[in-house]
Amino acid sequence: MKILSQIFLMLVLFFGCIFLLQKVDWMSLLNINQVSKSSEEKLGDTIWEYIKNDGKEIENKGLSEPIDSLIQKICGANDIDANQLKVHLIYNNEVNAFALPNNHLVVYTGLILAAENEGEICGVLGHEIAHIELKHVMKKLVKEMGLSILLSLASGSGNGDKLKEAIKYLSSSAYDRTLEREADLKSVKYMQKAKIDVEQYAAFLYRLGSDEPEAMKYLSWVSTHPDSRERANYILAQRGMGKIKCQAVLGPQSLQQMKDLIEGINN
Amino acid sequence: MENQTQAWIVKEDEAEKASNAYLMSLIAIIAGLPLPIINLIATLIFYLGNRKGTYFIRWHCLQALLSQLSLLFANSYGFWWTIYIIFGSDHLSSNYFAYIFTLIIFNVVEFIATIYTAIQTRKGKHVRWFLYADICDLLCKK
Repeated sequence: MKILSQIFLMLVLFFGCIFLLQKVDWMSLLNINQVSKSSEEKLGDTIWEYIKNDGKEIENKGLSEPIDSLIQKICGANDIDANQLKVHLIYNNEVNAFALPNNHLVVYTGLILAAENEGEICGVLGHEIAHIELKHVMKKLVKEMGLSILLSLASGSGNGDKLKEAIKYLSSSAYDRTLEREADLKSVKYMQKAKIDVEQYAAFLYRLGSDEPEAMKYLSWVSTHPDSRERANYILAQRGMGKIKCQAVLGPQSLQQMKDLIEGINN
Repeated sequence: MENQTQAWIVKEDEAEKASNAYLMSLIAIIAGLPLPIINLIATLIFYLGNRKGTYFIRWHCLQALLSQLSLLFANSYGFWWTIYIIFGSDHLSSNYFAYIFTLIIFNVVEFIATIYTAIQTRKGKHVRWFLYADICDLLCKK
């Protein structure tokens, strides 16, 4: 009995200590939130400005509006503020989309050209939105480049090479396996809530994963993400057996119109 | 923690071995700081190696072992939480800092108590820790 009461007292002391220390706002006291938030904003804008200066951004309503409507559908169904996302369409033949710090989301036209239906685009967009929502972007950059370099880039004192390096890490290399899986599964949830066919996303991964090796140079998003077939499998497993009545936003005609517009820019 | 005068006379080698049980955990803490399991393994090996020793030695080996065991769970939780923040999708929060600072407080108290007990035991004094001493009385047969 004495031992039990002593154990109880010890636990009260331990959890009491945690409880009291929880009353302190350590994030403000240690200045952690403010540093990361303002740095992330500056860093994201600096990287985006650098990409934008390449002059390949497309500001064509015929392309941006359908992409926005897909994002609105995903975000609306999942209580995500779509206005916080800064979506940019870039003319590039690579099948790619990636997230930058400060909620920038870059979509390459190659992704639209490679997609056979809107579900495939939504799957990739959902995946990148998940990276943003789960705060994977800054985590990856800090891990790959180190906090001090990122802070110097955010303050504008970093050099162009480091900026290129940051873009390379974000656009052409995958997050680690755990984060990729988390983003994939989150994307499946987003799609299901938004009544978008998850099977189309899985089929997209299967199709691109088994493409000819020569074509792989245009498939950055797939070739740099680990094992597309394995991903397609767990995406289908996560979807479950329940049938969801899917609601199309664009339809095949709109998608074809988008492709024609891109081809028009190409010519 | 209390210093108790025991009814028996502690020999020089007994006091040395009993004191070494605490020293062992201290050295292991320093050597394997990020991995909370190493100090437990070290004290466990030392306990098993001395389980046929005298009552004084066994009792103190057990007290050193138990003191490591209780912090193991708390430290392991803190360790894996940190790993999940670095490599997983969790992020820094006030709750995390509250937990880590609690761990630091308890570990520092335990560290100081271990040094003090190692010194006193080396002098042949019987140091009894709160809670652990009573469990040792139960588990350690004379």
